[in-house]
Amino acid sequence: MSTATAEVQREAPAGARPAVVEAAKVSKTYLRGKEQVQVLQNLDLVIHEGAFEALMGPSGSGKSTLLNLIAGLDRPTSGTIRVAGSNVGELAERQRAKWRAANVGFIFQTYNMMPVLTALENVELPLLLTSLSSKERRERAQTALDVVGLKDRMQHYPRELSGGQEQRVAIARAIVTDPKLIVADEPTGDLDRKSADDILKLLVRLNSEFNKTIIMVTHDPAAAECAKKIHHLDKGALDKGAHS
Amino acid sequence: MNIGRLAIKNLGRNKLRTVLTIWAVSVAILAFIALRTILSAWTVAADFAAKDRVGTRHKVSFIMQMPGRYLQEIREIPGVKAAAGANWFGAKLAGKEDEFFANFAVDPKAYLAVYDEVVVPEDQRQAWFGNKTGAVVGDALAKKQGWKVGDRVTLVGTIFPGDWTFEISGIYTAVRKSFDRSSFLFHYDYLNDSPIGRQIVNDQVGWIVSRIDDPGRAAQISKAIDDHFDERDVQTLSMSERAMNTSFIGMISAVLKAVDIVSIVILLIMVLILGNTVAMGVRERTHEYGVLRAIGFLPKHLGAFVLGESVAVSAIGGVVGVVASYVIVEQGIGRFLEENMGGFFPFFRIAPATVLWALILACVLGLVAAALPAYNAAKLKVVDSLRQVG
Repeated sequence: MSTATAEVQREAPAGARPAVVEAAKVSKTYLRGKEQVQVLQNLDLVIHEGAFEALMGPSGSGKSTLLNLIAGLDRPTSGTIRVAGSNVGELAERQRAKWRAANVGFIFQTYNMMPVLTALENVELPLLLTSLSSKERRERAQTALDVVGLKDRMQHYPRELSGGQEQRVAIARAIVTDPKLIVADEPTGDLDRKSADDILKLLVRLNSEFNKTIIMVTHDPAAAECAKKIHHLDKGALDKGAHS
Repeated sequence: MNIGRLAIKNLGRNKLRTVLTIWAVSVAILAFIALRTILSAWTVAADFAAKDRVGTRHKVSFIMQMPGRYLQEIREIPGVKAAAGANWFGAKLAGKEDEFFANFAVDPKAYLAVYDEVVVPEDQRQAWFGNKTGAVVGDALAKKQGWKVGDRVTLVGTIFPGDWTFEISGIYTAVRKSFDRSSFLFHYDYLNDSPIGRQIVNDQVGWIVSRIDDPGRAAQISKAIDDHFDERDVQTLSMSERAMNTSFIGMISAVLKAVDIVSIVILLIMVLILGNTVAMGVRERTHEYGVLRAIGFLPKHLGAFVLGESVAVSAIGGVVGVVASYVIVEQGIGRFLEENMGGFFPFFRIAPATVLWALILACVLGLVAAALPAYNAAKLKVVDSLRQVG
C-alpha cells in the first residue's frame, strides 16, 4: 500500500530537512482472544524535522496505534520504523525506554500528572532519569514552565490547576528534556474551546519558535487546522483522497 | 526531588489508607513485641540465674519437705560455701485474697548470704535478724501495698491456717533481674516454732539453695549432694539454679511454644494486610505507571517505587509499634506484672534485641509483602497500562 496523505501545505518543501520518522510497510496485528485484528496495514510514512502533522480518522482507524509505534511504545508486527535515526522496532525494551526518554515528549489527553507532586516536580520527573544535578533539573523545569506561561504556578498541585493549566504543565513536562519529537494524543480532547485554543497556540509556538517536530492525533478539526499537514487514517491505512 | 522522595511522596496519595496501614503494622509490631517480651520474661529467671548456686529438693516432688538436718550436712559437702533453706508459706493478705505474692520462711542470715543480689539496708537487715516476727519485702510489693518499715501486716494462712502478724523490718531491692521484687520473706523459726508449724514443718525444709565455690563444678557438686543422701529415707534431687529454673519453664513449654508461634503468625497477617494494600495501590495506578514507563522510567524504577513505598509504610509502622510498645508493654503491662505477678515475671522489660528484630522484620516483611505487586508493576506493558482508566 502506498503512502497516501491528504496534505494542507503550509510549510516549505520538506526535501531539505532530514526525516525524523520513516515508516516503511508497517503493519500491526493484535490478538483479541483467538482472533487476529489487523490495525495497521503496510503503512508508509515520512515526517521531516520541524513538521507539525496531525493524524485524523474514525475510532479504531489505527491513529493511536501508529502514534504508539512512532513513539516507541510498541513494536510493529512487520515493517520498519525509524525515528530520530533509530530503528525503534528493533530496540530492546530497556533500550526503547532510554530512547524514549531522550527523544520523545508525550502529551496525553488526560494530562496524567502525578497528583502528589507540584507542577514543578511533575515537569522535573523525566529529568530524574538524566545525570543532571538537582539544581540543573530544577532550573530546566522552571524554564519549561516559563515557556508554557506557568512560572507563577510552579508550586501548585494538579488539583489546584484548571484543565488547560494541567495540560500546559504536561506540555512543559514533554519539552523539558528537549526531545526531537513531541507526540500528542488528543491533547485538547478534555478541554473547553478556549483552553483548547490556548494549548494549540502553544503547540504551534513550540513548532515554529523551538522547531519541535510534533505529531498529533486528534478528532478535533479545529485542532487539526493548526497542523501543517493532516494525515487521514481509515481501517489501518492512510487515506489517499482525504482532505482536512 | 529524587526517585526516593517520589516514592515517599506517594505515601500521601491516600492519607487515610496510609495511616490505617501504618496503624495495622504498628499493632502487629506491638503484639509481636508483647509476645516476645512475655517469652523472654518467662525465661529471664533461667537466663539470669546465678551460675554459682545449686538447688536441692525432695527427689519425689518439690512439694515434699526434707529433714532440716540436711541443711547442715550440705554445708559440709566440699565445694559448698553456704546453704539456706526455705519453706513455702502460701499465705494471702487479709481482704485481698485474689492478689498473689510469694511468701516463704527462711533463715535470714543464711538466706541473705546465699542470695547476695538481695540488697537490704544494714540497719533494716540487723532489725530483721533480731526480730522473730520481722519480715523483709520486695520494693515492688511494698510500693504496691503502701507498706513502710515498721508497719504491721497480717497474712491469712492457707497451708498454715490462722492469722499471722508480721512487722516489716526492711524493704529489699534486687540487683539481679531474675529475683522477684514482690516477695515476702520472714523467719523460719516464727513458722517452725508455732503450734501449726510444729505439726506441718517440724524442723523440715522445703528446699535448700547452696552457694558453691566454682560455677564450673555445679553438676559435680549437685551429684555429690544427691549421692550423699542416696542411702537415706529421703533422697534429694539437686541441680544448678539455671537448670532448676529451666525445668520449671519446661513444664509450660507447650504454652511458650504456642506464644512463639502466635508471634510469628501475627507478622504473617501483617504481610497479608500490607500486601493487599500495596496490590490495591498498584492496580489503581496502572495508568500512571504506563505514563512513567512512556516517559522513560524502567521496570526496575516502578518496582523500586512499589517496594520503597511498602518498606516506608512498614518501617514507619514498625517505629510507631516500638514506641507504643514502650508505653503499653513496658511501662503499662510490664509494671503491672512486675508488681502483681513478680513471682512469674520478675523482670518484664522489652529486650533491645526484640526491638531490633521487630524493626528488621518490619522492613523485611514490607519487602516481602510488596514483592508480587512490584513484580506485576514492573511487568506492565506500556500500551496496555495507558489504555487502562482509573
